[in-house]
Amino acid sequence: MEFWLPANGAVDFQAQVFSSSSIHLANTLRPYLTCIRNTLTAAMCLQNFPCQEVERHNKPEVEFKTSRELLLNPILICRNEAEKCLIEASINSLRISIKVKQADELENILAKKFLRFLSMRAESFQVLRRKPVQGYDISFLITNYHCEEMSKHKLIDFVVTFMEDIDKEISELKLSVNTRGRLVATEFLRQFT
Amino acid sequence: MAAGGVHQLAQCITCHAWNADLSMVAVCPNNNEVHIYQASPSPTSAWECIHVLQKHDQLVSGIDWAPMSNKIVTSSHDRNSYVWTLEGNEWQPTLVILRLNRAAISVDWSPRENKFAVGSGAMSVCVCYYEEDNNWWVSKLIRKKHHSTVTSVAWHPNNVLLATTSTDCRCRVFSAYVKGVDARRDATTAFGDIKFGEQLIELDLACGWAFGCHWSPSGNSLAFVGHDSTIHFVSDVGPTPRAHSLSLRHLPLRDVLFLSETRLVAGGFDCNPMLFEIDQNGVWEFITFLDEGKGTAVEPISDTLFAAAKGRFKWLGNEVAELNLPSTTHENCILTIAPVISLAEKKAEKPVTRFSTSGMDGRIVVWDMNNLGDVMARLRL
Repeated sequence: MEFWLPANGAVDFQAQVFSSSSIHLANTLRPYLTCIRNTLTAAMCLQNFPCQEVERHNKPEVEFKTSRELLLNPILICRNEAEKCLIEASINSLRISIKVKQADELENILAKKFLRFLSMRAESFQVLRRKPVQGYDISFLITNYHCEEMSKHKLIDFVVTFMEDIDKEISELKLSVNTRGRLVATEFLRQFT
Repeated sequence: MAAGGVHQLAQCITCHAWNADLSMVAVCPNNNEVHIYQASPSPTSAWECIHVLQKHDQLVSGIDWAPMSNKIVTSSHDRNSYVWTLEGNEWQPTLVILRLNRAAISVDWSPRENKFAVGSGAMSVCVCYYEEDNNWWVSKLIRKKHHSTVTSVAWHPNNVLLATTSTDCRCRVFSAYVKGVDARRDATTAFGDIKFGEQLIELDLACGWAFGCHWSPSGNSLAFVGHDSTIHFVSDVGPTPRAHSLSLRHLPLRDVLFLSETRLVAGGFDCNPMLFEIDQNGVWEFITFLDEGKGTAVEPISDTLFAAAKGRFKWLGNEVAELNLPSTTHENCILTIAPVISLAEKKAEKPVTRFSTSGMDGRIVVWDMNNLGDVMARLRL
């Protein structure tokens, strides 16, 4: 995605403030992401498993939940109330649902629009679910077929990098919206001087 | 130990089996076909696909090659099984009506090759035998004993006991004595006189799905793995079996293979075969990973503040991903372990020295325990 960012001093200053705070952020983000990475490594032990309820079918058990014994206990990893990650595993599929930090209404609307934009293009991401699980902003569905085609650590890296980048992305969006708002306001108010 | 030979045959291999003289291997490349390769366990050999068996309409889930009668049995998610016989230069299929209404998951020839067992998603096990009068394979079902899919089946060397594992976390031993097919004296085992379908042992040891059961060469011990990263050994299989479980700190295992009465290999989601051995007190213990690549990937421990700070910046540089790169011969889960032993050697009751593993990365790797010397030597130090 490209963002329109005017090159003036005010923005640079703000960007600096942001980047210094992002180091602080990363430090507290690290255990959260490490925990998710380790949980995913343990949970992503998937294999081909035909459905035992419907003849000649093979579908992700975590979605249909037809046999209780094929599901594992879901794991909820929380960084705080606003940011959490739910990992539901089954014998042949794994569902990861993420709630992204939304501090104010602007972040809320930005996150909603941005994640909707991604969800609409779920096919090109392969592991993205078209609709998030209720109560979460975005969900991934990883099946044994993904694990056969792609290497496991790359899949985990993708999810973790995605979580790492999403906060950054939304902060940047917020920043550019604010900058743009300020510029528009300046231009608008200039006519009254 | 360096892997003997590595053969990338497909994107993913669900199962494979060797023939009697180790000149051919049957492989399912994760679709409805079975490919037969002209093969050799020697490290330098190049394998060549010589036959393609196409009859199933869904994924082939199990292959077993009978060494004496040279017949291949395959099971598939399309609920059917075929017995393939080589006539001239063609493999002729015979359909086996399993009478299942769900997928067949695994298949195993009995040691005398007059029967084979199929585990299925219908929570039942089929024991099939050949009926000469009608010229077909008849299936007898063991029903209502499992509460979930049967993931693997294994025959006891005495040709009548059958071990199964299931996703209801249990391992069971059944009698698969078929009247008229087995001799009457076979019905008398350690369990007394047994009838077909009788459940003799039920082992509730694992807290996760159970997979990959296997008998020791004498049939005295049985091993299986649980998805909770456990491996279970049952010795003195009889009316009073003794069980011993090991919890591992690694990812779950998928399959096991007894090399001898005292040695066993197991493979799974760690992509690295693990060697287990029995010690003087008769207790099984984990010895080593067989693939040497692994042990080196240890995360550095930062003992000073400076090193910790440095580590933090390293993480910010997004290098953490590289620590997790697999450095093993297999790059994805190991699904099947097969013994690489010819029929002639098997009779001498020698320990299995070579075995092959195949997995979700589409590779078949042949391992030779004779090359293991250096690993074992280092271990003894």
